[in-house]
Amino acid sequence: MKIVHRNLMPDGSGSVKMTPEEADDLWLAYNLIAQGDMVSCSTVRKVMREAASGGRDSERVKLQLQIKVEGIEYDKEGSALRIRGKNMLKNEHVTVGAFHTLEIELHRPFVLKKELWDSVALDELNQASDPKASADLAVLLMQEGLAHLFLVGKSVTTTRSRVEASIPRKHGPAVAGYDKALNKFFNNVMQAFLKHIDFSIVRCAVIASPGFTKDQFHGHLLLEAERKQLRPIIENKSRIVLVPTTSGYKHCLREVLEAPNVMNIIKDTKAAKEVQALKNFFSILSKDPSRACYGPKHVDVAHEQLAIDTLLLTDELFRSGDVATRQKYVNLVESVKASKGEAYIMSSMHVSGEQLAQLTGVAAILRFPLPELEDLEM
Amino acid sequence: MPGSELVGMPHKGGYRAHFEDDYDAYEDYDYDSGDDYGDELFERDKTLQELGKDKNAVARQEEAFIVWRCPICTYDNEDSLTACEMCGVLRNPLVNPSSRSHSSGDNVSTERERSAPVESKLPAKVADRRSGVTEDDSLVISGKKTFVASNIGRTNSSFSGSGKAKTDVETKSTSANLKKQKAPEKQDKGISNQLNLAVVGHVDSGKSTLSGRLLHLLGRISQKKMHKYAEEAKQHGKGSFAYAWALDESPEERERGITMTVGVAFLKSRKYDVVLLDSPGHRDLVPNMISGATQADAAILVIDGSIGSFEGGMDATRGQTREHAQLIRSFGVDQIIVVVNKMDVVGYSEERYDTIKQKLGTFLRSCGYKDSSVTYIPASAMENQNLIEKPSDAKLSWYEGPSILEAIDSIQLPARDYSKPMLMPICDVIKLESQNQISACGKLENGAIRAGDKVLVLPSKERAKVHSLLRDSHPCNVARAGDNVTILLQGIEENHVTAGGVICHPDFPVKISSCLELKILVFDIPTPILIGSQMEFHIHHAKTAARVSKIVSVLDPKTGKVTKKSPRCLLSKQNAIIEVILDKTVCVEEYSKCRALGRVFLRASGRTIAMGIVTHVTESEW
Repeated sequence: MKIVHRNLMPDGSGSVKMTPEEADDLWLAYNLIAQGDMVSCSTVRKVMREAASGGRDSERVKLQLQIKVEGIEYDKEGSALRIRGKNMLKNEHVTVGAFHTLEIELHRPFVLKKELWDSVALDELNQASDPKASADLAVLLMQEGLAHLFLVGKSVTTTRSRVEASIPRKHGPAVAGYDKALNKFFNNVMQAFLKHIDFSIVRCAVIASPGFTKDQFHGHLLLEAERKQLRPIIENKSRIVLVPTTSGYKHCLREVLEAPNVMNIIKDTKAAKEVQALKNFFSILSKDPSRACYGPKHVDVAHEQLAIDTLLLTDELFRSGDVATRQKYVNLVESVKASKGEAYIMSSMHVSGEQLAQLTGVAAILRFPLPELEDLEM
Repeated sequence: MPGSELVGMPHKGGYRAHFEDDYDAYEDYDYDSGDDYGDELFERDKTLQELGKDKNAVARQEEAFIVWRCPICTYDNEDSLTACEMCGVLRNPLVNPSSRSHSSGDNVSTERERSAPVESKLPAKVADRRSGVTEDDSLVISGKKTFVASNIGRTNSSFSGSGKAKTDVETKSTSANLKKQKAPEKQDKGISNQLNLAVVGHVDSGKSTLSGRLLHLLGRISQKKMHKYAEEAKQHGKGSFAYAWALDESPEERERGITMTVGVAFLKSRKYDVVLLDSPGHRDLVPNMISGATQADAAILVIDGSIGSFEGGMDATRGQTREHAQLIRSFGVDQIIVVVNKMDVVGYSEERYDTIKQKLGTFLRSCGYKDSSVTYIPASAMENQNLIEKPSDAKLSWYEGPSILEAIDSIQLPARDYSKPMLMPICDVIKLESQNQISACGKLENGAIRAGDKVLVLPSKERAKVHSLLRDSHPCNVARAGDNVTILLQGIEENHVTAGGVICHPDFPVKISSCLELKILVFDIPTPILIGSQMEFHIHHAKTAARVSKIVSVLDPKTGKVTKKSPRCLLSKQNAIIEVILDKTVCVEEYSKCRALGRVFLRASGRTIAMGIVTHVTESEW
């Protein structure tokens, strides 16, 4: 994300002009923009004009609109951000108060004006403008008959492709069928691999599976690359890493990110830190259950007693339309930080964030055990 | 879509209600209380719920009301009638057609023929959709549920391959019923005597070698083939795997020297037709082992007796001996033969055998196996000691017990549900390029099936016809509950039949759902189970990802009463009721209605974390 211009007042309001550069930035924008903010951007609108003869003519006009945000939508599959709201500026084509949907696109600057830029929002903004390289890891998680291709970004993990095939057992007459089906499956996976993985963007490609499927596929991939002279694969042979997991389902992505050789590659990125924090939480929960808690009520109680050491939240909590809730969580984060604790706001598009979201979205590791939480209702 | 309704045959309203009654009555019917975890979990439920219907009362009630079922329309007519009230088919077709009493309000189809001189199947002129019934009244006879205690006279007239019409008024035993039917066919000796035996154990304990050796000794593999295997194995530098290659047929498995998927082999012991299910022992391949062992009636647990290996197998985290034994027990298997293999390596030492027996004994007892159903046998697969006959080696003379084959013969077959509607979970799907046929393999759980029957394939909800049946590569005419068969289907496309699906009777479809309530027993787990925990869900041959959506309550292991509602998390060895949401829909039934489809396993992080039964299916697709 490129921050073009920043204009913040001491009372917290202000406007920032920014240009999103990659899909991750759209996610960040999604987190920043809330209901009631003003967004201005150049956009296209269909305008009806009355011709002299009385007939109506519609025309697509490019104009600069400033709208007051009523609704925001993030499209996961298409990586697009749409903002719906009422027009604020007087405009020759569009009346004030008319509804319009803005689509935030890559490489097009837009201005975001907020009433209150709270600390969380400012943090995120700073992080976004950091020119550090993003995590960008491509993970192929597979098992016999099922494969998922993920792209792990800075704040977003997207599923690029999913291949499923039914592979019969191998006994008796069906042995040939097994081989054939397996080959077909591998070919399909390889096509997805070649299509979605661009080695110039991605740091490395990870192939993960339980059992021997990954070795089989790796062998198949290299063989085909030699045969068809596929330059991208041959050149980047060394950037393909094999990792064992316990299954091929999506939740094992977590295991992939925890594997030591993958961790080395991504250790300075946000995704790795999140995974580590969540792992800590689970291990403490199993070793010493009264030192970990989850759920808004429990965390509140723990906070009152100033017991929170590490706070884990998902960014979904900050996106709620209700200003009061957002305020509450912002305060929580600030006070935890003030008492020398740590707060991790996890992107709910990452595996770890997803898992946390399933656990109600907020969790905490405590400084000292609080056994009375056990009896409190969730 | 024609197949979308359950009962589409135009009929009197009363018929339908009657049918439902049957089903309800049948639900309360006896569940064999086998000794598996599922039962322990379930039995407590039953007593707690107090079903209120005494099953004896139900049986007595039914005895008073004797009916016979019409083979065409399956309507239950009173005993006094000689022809079906609904469709007019004679009860005893050999009787002169003119003596037929009447055919009452036949709003089914007026073209329905009298069944008088019936040699072949009754004509399929019946206009209703269940015309399949005419060809498959065998299905009606064998597959449909019957009242346990009632006398049901049936016209066994149209019977593929027999031509002889019989009327049998049977008393209680339905298997006896089938026996009578079978007599004219001269094929099987009556009750199915197929025994499904799973061979499990830690990796490299000698399972495939043992199975291969048994097959060879019993003549299922010719000398020539065995020689070929031995030669090839030596060429690949894996001379010691020669016998295992009989089971591990794919090049992948041979190269790595392991079993990757369950190898199925047939052999005949003195008493039974045994289906050997040679399972993989590798940690990562436990899902495959589950899918295979789901079909087992009894098991052989192979232990590597050499120093260090046994201890390795018993290791809590890395040993498969434990996990396999627990899993097998959860499948409801209570009879297990423990083979202490590789005795030649330890010089057939009695001490080593006794140490192993003792350690294992405590463990198996804690799993729930009764001492009387566990048999220990020292053996050596490589040296052919104690496999099918008494040991020849003098060093083994201290052993007095049976050989492996004799132990197999001493296993008792579990009770089979012949009377319930036909049900078979699909283990494997094979498409033969030559014909336009799809074959589905699996073990028939309930009921029976014949060539020519119409069946329903789930979850695609497509109907198909059975072209033929194969058992042990030999075609057969009928297969009954407990048999491991390959069904060749006609009239269905390849992508509609999937492993993990179910083949069932068209009128008794199985529920399909992705939202279930389970009662589980948690094993030893490193991290507690929380709401939102994601895990893999295994049920019969299907597997999918699942997450815990709600932890309803924790139960006391002994009494089954609720000790805590909505706990924060679940720890090891707790009994609990949880709700799960699956990624994909699966065919499932409540455990109380069907065991095979109600047993589930939950795995995560490479280990089995819980085993459970389905107590409630929320949001079924029908």
